[in-house]
Amino acid sequence: MRPAFPVRLGAAEETLIAQLKAAGADQVAERVTVAGLPTRRVEAYHYTDLKTLLRTVPPLAQPANEATGTAIRVPGAYALSIVNGVVQHAATAPEGVIVGKTHGGVLTHRDDTLVGISNGLTKEALSLDLRGTIDQVIQIDHRIEGEAGHVADATKIFVADDSSVVILETFSGSDAAHVGNHASYLALGKNAIVTHVTVDLGSRATAHFATNEYHLAEGAQLRTLVVHAGSGLARTHLFPRMEGAGAHADVTGLNLVSEGQHSDITMETTHAVPHTSSQPLFKSITRGRSKAVVQGKLIVARDAQKTDAKFMHQGLMLSDDAEILSKPELEIYADDVVCGHGSTCGKLDEDSLFYLLSRGIPKAEAETMLVRGFIAELIDPIEDEALNEALQGIVDGWLLGQ
Amino acid sequence: MTTPVLEIRNLHARIEEREILKGVNLVIPQGEVHAIMGRNGSGKSTLSYVLAGKEDYEVTEGEILLNGVSILEMEPDERAAAGLFLAFQYPIEIPGVATMTFLKAAINAQRKARGEGELSTPDFMRAVKEAGAQLNVDSEMLKRPLNVGFSGGEKKRAEIMQMALLKPSLAVLDETDSGLDIDALQVVSKGVNALRDGKRSMLVITHYQRLLNHIVPDVVHVFSDGRIVESGDKDLALQLEAKGYADYDGQAA
Amino acid sequence: MADYDIPTLKEEIDRETVEQVLALDVDKYKYGFESDIESDVLPPGLTEETVRFISAKKEEPEWMLEWRLDAFRRFQTLEEPTWAKLHYPKIDLQEVSFYAAPKSFKGPKSLADVDPELLKTYEKLGIPLKEQAILAGVEGAAESVGTPFGANVAVDAVFDSVSVVTTFREELAKVGIIFCSISEAVREHPELVKKYLGSVVPVSDNYYATLNSAVFTDGSFVYIPKGVRCPMELSTYFRINEKKTGQFERTLIIADDDSYVSYLEGCTAPSRDENQLHAAVVELVALDNAEIKYSTVQNWYPGDKDGKGGIYNFVTKRGDCRGVNSHISWTQVETGSAITWKYPSCILRGDGSRGEFYSIAISNGYQQVDSGTKMIHLGKNTSSRIISKGIAAGFSDNTYRGQVSAHAKAKNARNFTQCDSLLIGDKCGAHTVPYIESRNGTAVFEHEATTSKISDDQMFYCLQRGLNEEEAVALIVNGFVRDVLQHLPMEFMVETQKLISISLEGSVG
Repeated sequence: MRPAFPVRLGAAEETLIAQLKAAGADQVAERVTVAGLPTRRVEAYHYTDLKTLLRTVPPLAQPANEATGTAIRVPGAYALSIVNGVVQHAATAPEGVIVGKTHGGVLTHRDDTLVGISNGLTKEALSLDLRGTIDQVIQIDHRIEGEAGHVADATKIFVADDSSVVILETFSGSDAAHVGNHASYLALGKNAIVTHVTVDLGSRATAHFATNEYHLAEGAQLRTLVVHAGSGLARTHLFPRMEGAGAHADVTGLNLVSEGQHSDITMETTHAVPHTSSQPLFKSITRGRSKAVVQGKLIVARDAQKTDAKFMHQGLMLSDDAEILSKPELEIYADDVVCGHGSTCGKLDEDSLFYLLSRGIPKAEAETMLVRGFIAELIDPIEDEALNEALQGIVDGWLLGQ
Repeated sequence: MTTPVLEIRNLHARIEEREILKGVNLVIPQGEVHAIMGRNGSGKSTLSYVLAGKEDYEVTEGEILLNGVSILEMEPDERAAAGLFLAFQYPIEIPGVATMTFLKAAINAQRKARGEGELSTPDFMRAVKEAGAQLNVDSEMLKRPLNVGFSGGEKKRAEIMQMALLKPSLAVLDETDSGLDIDALQVVSKGVNALRDGKRSMLVITHYQRLLNHIVPDVVHVFSDGRIVESGDKDLALQLEAKGYADYDGQAA
Repeated sequence: MADYDIPTLKEEIDRETVEQVLALDVDKYKYGFESDIESDVLPPGLTEETVRFISAKKEEPEWMLEWRLDAFRRFQTLEEPTWAKLHYPKIDLQEVSFYAAPKSFKGPKSLADVDPELLKTYEKLGIPLKEQAILAGVEGAAESVGTPFGANVAVDAVFDSVSVVTTFREELAKVGIIFCSISEAVREHPELVKKYLGSVVPVSDNYYATLNSAVFTDGSFVYIPKGVRCPMELSTYFRINEKKTGQFERTLIIADDDSYVSYLEGCTAPSRDENQLHAAVVELVALDNAEIKYSTVQNWYPGDKDGKGGIYNFVTKRGDCRGVNSHISWTQVETGSAITWKYPSCILRGDGSRGEFYSIAISNGYQQVDSGTKMIHLGKNTSSRIISKGIAAGFSDNTYRGQVSAHAKAKNARNFTQCDSLLIGDKCGAHTVPYIESRNGTAVFEHEATTSKISDDQMFYCLQRGLNEEEAVALIVNGFVRDVLQHLPMEFMVETQKLISISLEGSVG
């Protein structure tokens, strides 16, 4: 909807408009000109008002051909990398993996400014065609190097029928005030089994935006895990879509938020056909003055009978002055469904803490133990041992660092 | 000769594409108790659902007469008002609806359908109290939501109590003994036997013979692969208990 | 005054009900009759003159007129909100008449002065205005007219834009309780009105509340003095009768320290082809240790089976738990209106204060409901509880929208929320949109929502016991809403159960 009065544009918007126009993305530029960045009045951004949070956008990052580091290393993984938006040369791919490049954005057009910017500015995307049982974890390491830069990059992944794979995407970079706008498009063939883990370990100065789109054919099984553990401002927008009977998605995510940070996971799952299911589970842990946001919408289409979907968000506050904001939503148009959501928020259970203390465990250790227990539900299902360990390492690192 | 309470003629029924009843013939005269025994999956429970009119089942052939009247075209509630009662193997939970409220709604709906007036509250309370006393159903239980949080025994007692209250001409008891310990079985059987009055007929569906020690049938039928393959007196049940159903396997084919 | 034969009226109502039920496919709204009462109606349109006219008609003091004009000026800068999940053509306020009053109405009145036609209307609705009969000890006088209210209820009857009668006033005055129309309160108790009006719902709170502030015509005013437990249920009965009129009533209830009041509200309107606008504001103020229980049975005309006509119901209801350990509880049964936009809320300002919201919202036909609550925790040790049961049938859309928020200073805030939706049929929609905002590490929030349908097994079980489909649905739905029903005053419970059945008729088969 167009507001009655033109909005006042800030520095961030002016930069974006210029960048979009230079890239030939006139429609998106026009959209930003008319509406500005999304404010809290745009429901999907209710708790992440980009107009307020994103004051400046750096110039588009210069192409770079080498990464100076990596977010995490997972032993045994097949590693690919995208540096400042440029897809790097790959080592010989394991069997069943075809690595390639496509031009332009990868996301389905939708009424969302960040999606528009991603499609407008992405020059090339890493593409993967995956077939068969792929035992090696595939890691796609996204880096933003050098001076503060604005990067739009993307991956487009097709998983063939009856195939299985674990994909890890990691996001990190130099300490400058980057803005990353990342897109992932995954199409799962019939009965494909896919685990997709995305981990943000950007610098505190970075604003990390990611949009992940999933299409699930008949019988496809998806597990996603989003971990926000780095950037000062992080937002991942998930769009899983169940398009074939028997499709199931475990959509999960974890906000680890410290002093001054703002992390947002927003999900919109669509059950488009009958007999599909999803089990979204998100957790947020906050300390210091920080903000965690989880929004989760389950949409059940008119004919999508026998949908079974339950969304859950659990917030854990380790400090008094943090905020946990949650908006679960149900939008249901079919009657023969079992759908629900839950959202809880509180601090560590005092009885449990007391129990551990009474057994002689020091407070800090007891707290760590309980927090790990709180997160276990998300990490445990990641079966690849090396990846599981790496993720546990990120959590432990967060718990230790202040 | 009086009209039999139940007459089933060459009944065929299926669920989706699968034929489950393959030509059932059965006559239950007034006042008699017949038992149907058979393996799990032989179609016994299907027969009870088809009798009660569950819409998932499609009758493809045959006829069901209740007191001489065809009930095939009737809705489940019309069959209930016509005198058919099904004691469910797994009674359904209805949250928030007090058992007492449900009983009153059911009894008055049936009376209304038969053109009788509503039962006054004192008469209703009296009837409930009487029926409840037989089956150890106290007023505390009647206040709880229907079947919600009831133990297996409580559920079955509540079913038989409903039967006592609704006074059907034909009661179909579907695996009423399942999930009952011996004490509960005795209470339930006593309740059932109290309702054998020489007029009311019953069809007792069971897998085990032990129930028939308590509710002694006039006739026992063996059910296999969707039809009755043998009928006899109560001793047939004892034979089955000793020898199992193996003799009947493949017989129907 | 006219002497009514109560049993005859009762029969008439019964017959009418039966006829309505029989004629379900055509129109099942039992209160859809129109009363033949001569009225003064202001020509349609909204200008500053309209506001001045209303104020003059009410013989208001200058400060009240200024208050209204301020609201009107602010209103002109506002735009109709669009965030709710509601779809309707834009309302042209220039088509709405902002004032209608029965001609016979001549200011404060006793029952004897009330137009007999009007009294008949209320009798027909089952609202006892005959306090003499009740006071004279005619046992069951109220019951015999099939009223949802028991005998021990004081009623303020609001007909279109004016309060026509308020019963039991003297009885209540004996213990210091003020129960009158808001127009009268503006004249008689300006100090209380000045102090509290707009103190919970500020003049420019939202589009509809601002409109209401400019043009509200009547409504009820209640003041319960310190330490008084109101001896009877208080109630207001709203009726829109005139064509093309809007109803903009304003209710203000103040419970002073250590007092208690239970308040009931009911509403109906004739069946008409065009949509009518209802934009009310209700403000509750609970001071130290006070308790207010506010119950609503909203049964405005929902429109016909094709979605034609019906009331647009845009209501702002808010309670302020201003005092320590104060307690406000909202219970609502929403069965009527073409469109419902309503979020009875609690501001939990006083330490230890408590807010509750119990709701049943039923939508059938083409009704659209967007309703819920806000629990704003500001004080320490505040708690809130939300139980919402939405039932969608026919082609309707039923949305629960709620907000629970704990301010940084609201130490130990607690909330429990349970939202359940039931869908009947596959052409309707049920939606849940809660905003859960914890800004405090000591707050504990729990929210749960479910969506389901009546299971085939439950239906079959009920049918096997002899209930027909509609009886079975009504029974199961009444079970579904039981947690909320039990929070209604006894007088309302039975009537509500019947109303639920009537609202769902035609939803199966």
